[in-house]
Amino acid sequence: MDDDALIAAVARREDTALRELFSRHAPWLAARLRGVLPAAEVEDVLQETFLAVWRGAAGYRPEGSAGGWLWGIARRQAALWLRRRGPAELLLPALLAADGRHPGDPAQAALSRAELARAVSALGPEGGPARETWRLMYVEDRSVAEVAALMGVPAGTVKSRAHRARRLMRAALRQHDPAREGGGR
Amino acid sequence: MIGDDDRFGGYQDTGPAPGDVDLDRVWLGVAAQVWRREPGPAERAAGRLLHSPGLARALVTTPSLLLGWVIATVVILLAGVGFTLGTGTPWVALLAPAVAAAGIAYAYGPGIDPAWELSQSMAVSDRMVLLVRALAVFGLNAALGLAASAASGAAAEVTFGWLVPMTAVCALALAAATVTRSPNVGVAAGSAGWVIAILASQAAEGRFTAAITDSFFVLPYLAFAVCCGAVVWYATRIPRGTS
Amino acid sequence: MNVELTELTRRFGRTQAVTGVTLEAGPGVFGLLGPNGAGKTSLLRMMATVLPPTSGTLRLLGRDPGGYGPRREIRRRLGYLPQNLGYYPGFTVVDFVEYFALLKDMPPGQVPGAVATAIEQVGLGDRARAKLRTLSGGMLRRVGIAQAIVNQPELLLLDEPTAGLDPEQRVAFRTLLREFGQRATVIVSTHLVEDVAAACSEVTLMDAGRMVFHGTPDELIARGQGHGIGDAPLERGYSAVLAAARS
Repeated sequence: MDDDALIAAVARREDTALRELFSRHAPWLAARLRGVLPAAEVEDVLQETFLAVWRGAAGYRPEGSAGGWLWGIARRQAALWLRRRGPAELLLPALLAADGRHPGDPAQAALSRAELARAVSALGPEGGPARETWRLMYVEDRSVAEVAALMGVPAGTVKSRAHRARRLMRAALRQHDPAREGGGR
Repeated sequence: MIGDDDRFGGYQDTGPAPGDVDLDRVWLGVAAQVWRREPGPAERAAGRLLHSPGLARALVTTPSLLLGWVIATVVILLAGVGFTLGTGTPWVALLAPAVAAAGIAYAYGPGIDPAWELSQSMAVSDRMVLLVRALAVFGLNAALGLAASAASGAAAEVTFGWLVPMTAVCALALAAATVTRSPNVGVAAGSAGWVIAILASQAAEGRFTAAITDSFFVLPYLAFAVCCGAVVWYATRIPRGTS
Repeated sequence: MNVELTELTRRFGRTQAVTGVTLEAGPGVFGLLGPNGAGKTSLLRMMATVLPPTSGTLRLLGRDPGGYGPRREIRRRLGYLPQNLGYYPGFTVVDFVEYFALLKDMPPGQVPGAVATAIEQVGLGDRARAKLRTLSGGMLRRVGIAQAIVNQPELLLLDEPTAGLDPEQRVAFRTLLREFGQRATVIVSTHLVEDVAAACSEVTLMDAGRMVFHGTPDELIARGQGHGIGDAPLERGYSAVLAAARS
């Protein structure tokens, strides 16, 4: 059975389909999460992820990729966990970065904390538009509509502020990229 | 159990699970929530009342409390109401004890429970299960019978009068079922005993409702019920094995 | 010591099902061998507190099962798989295992996790919500094993547990036994000699109600040297001991 059919089966409350989905996808999801979270938290987040899959399978649209959908859920669960735990502001950018590249080992994630703190401060003062938008969208993982309502600005403004925040973060992170520092002087 | 699956493609290019993440444990956490059964309101209330979730679960799975059985009981009693209204004879009062006896005999025991020997090794003792189930079945049948009897316009002494013989007949059915380890024998004994009581009282006093209405029988019925109860107690105390 | 039997006897009418069995067992896996009618089932039933002994003393998990309170405490820590276990056809695997978990007084909060663990341990995870009437004989036996282990018992009694299991499932089952044997006393009654050889640290052989051998599998093999009928060393020891006991 391919992934789309499996997820459709999960939507029909077939627990055997969830079991198969788990055995296929839990390993790589765990590997990705491990890049940003300690092992015990990976287990908790992964458990919450698949419970969310069980509850929300009806919302899956087969045009997307199953892997992308699953990772989206895992990301959200990890963000929720980080939000509850506290030092999210430092670890969440690492989670963003995990979207695009291979997860580094956890030591590297921890090392990055100091660099990330510096990158976050590049967004401006706390409470300022860029930093606040970034905090609501990426630390608290809210939707554009929610952030627009919370900040009292149109959705378009939220999107352009988020874009600016990402640009500033990327530039700040690149400046402190060890690979770059080693090479291009 | 679930092992690493090496079918990857597309998104899944980040390799196998990290060595310090216990995927089996994660799956067990998911399975526990996905597979769990939520007790219904009746079971939860019973659990609080009986201080035992196991006893409550045993109660709500009583064969003669299941919907099909209850519906059959209601149908029989409604027929009794019909006959009573038609003929003037209190059929409900005559039928109800036999129906209740059948329900009690089928509540629990070696003939009816396929996992009987296993049940005897449980912390919630099978005797407690029997007691709770028998009382529940009796109570339900009494309530249904009272309603049917009132609906058929019977006199008060008849309506309440048959509760006493019903107790005796049920006790007889239960005693026979536990001693012979067969619910069918219990039903047969209960029904036969009741028929005999009715016919005997007709022979003695000329009307077969005497078995219900004659207050002379109240004490004998209750004494008989107590004796049968003692038999049930004894029969369930010594678990008998076959060699 | 989880099991202490002293001169345990059980009589039915004039038949002596079990005569003068004396046995001690701590954690580990113990095999109970013997021909049909040897008294293995009656002995297991006494240890499962389902059958009272006629004479002799019985102490389980440090308690005397004669009293209601101690018996209930023993039963909470007991796992039992009878030789003939019926099933409720309309129940699913989860329903069945959960039912007996509740009857063993397990705290309701722990039940879903324990049920899931037991079902996966016997390899029925892909049939958890299947109705029992759709399962084969071997699968039903595994459901029976699952209900026996659901409460992580300290005393696990299994009567012919491998009936209906294929060789691969028997291997998985023996692994399960060894795991449990590290913390609990596991007593397996079987007439399949090779089941015993693979998993048990000690073996008891019964014949006509009496214990005719008690020792390690190697000692049983030694008894069969040069004597006995059988294809495997343990079988030869088995038949040698029986022949000696009956002569």
